[in-house]
Amino acid sequence: MSDCEHIWKMTNIEFGFIAFEKCSHCQAVRTHFTVDEESGDEYREGDCLWSRVENAQSFRFDLQCTKCNLAVKYHDLMGLLYCTSCMEDCEVEKIQKECAARKTWILVAFGFLPAKKDKPFPPHKLEILTDYFNQRRDTTRSRMKIVSHDLIEKFSLCKGEFIHDRGMLSLEVPEERKPLL
Amino acid sequence: MTTQDLIEKIGLKALSKFDPREVDGVFVSDMLSDVMAGAQSGNLWVTVQVHKSIVPAANLVDVSAVVVTGGKEVPKDTVELATKHDIAILATDMASFELVGKLYNLGLVAK
Repeated sequence: MSDCEHIWKMTNIEFGFIAFEKCSHCQAVRTHFTVDEESGDEYREGDCLWSRVENAQSFRFDLQCTKCNLAVKYHDLMGLLYCTSCMEDCEVEKIQKECAARKTWILVAFGFLPAKKDKPFPPHKLEILTDYFNQRRDTTRSRMKIVSHDLIEKFSLCKGEFIHDRGMLSLEVPEERKPLL
Repeated sequence: MTTQDLIEKIGLKALSKFDPREVDGVFVSDMLSDVMAGAQSGNLWVTVQVHKSIVPAANLVDVSAVVVTGGKEVPKDTVELATKHDIAILATDMASFELVGKLYNLGLVAK
């Protein structure tokens, strides 16, 4: 167990795209990170017929401690989602309401889809990510807390917004995001 | 220099309600991912983006204010979300280039 009081910095930043694909046969959605913008051509894989529904510009990174050089990879992080309070009984919304009084803002860390409801984003990575963003800010004003996607029980109804760059070739405001599944 | 100083000196329009705070450097980008990776706490973020996603991005990296340039209309839901999170959304008709020149003349630089 390290005694280091880690100070994190972002390293190995790689800009690219989160590709959202949907199967026209079973309606499943899956995502992956790609450095190059891929074409949207349909392709078959088993019974599924996948096609690209969106490319969102994003980036991936690692975090490294500037004191002890411990490195933590975040290639399994698809992105951070902010809660739009779309479901009052959602655990994320409940935590958000509790934390708002303490000026602590909530974001949800998402792994790549299909994300399993019973498989949380690794807790130690959430703590490190939370520490990193709090170390970057004036925490006398407010703090961040990053929670795992498995807190969203009704995944298919969630209208939270990812902090991704989508529709960047247009100056029109993107429409509200449709539910993921 | 504070957000309030900038509003008065440059004639920026305050759209959201917020507590004034110190401005420390400038970050210019229209990509949220770029801001998340590179902006620093206290930076003034200059952009043409107006979607409400700018608010959680600004909040995440603790910028002092977002300045929307080019006279772009900022949707009401963006302004309301910013007020909820105490994020300053400022607006100007100036293009980003012109605004950045004025900020530079006031002594603000990239941090």
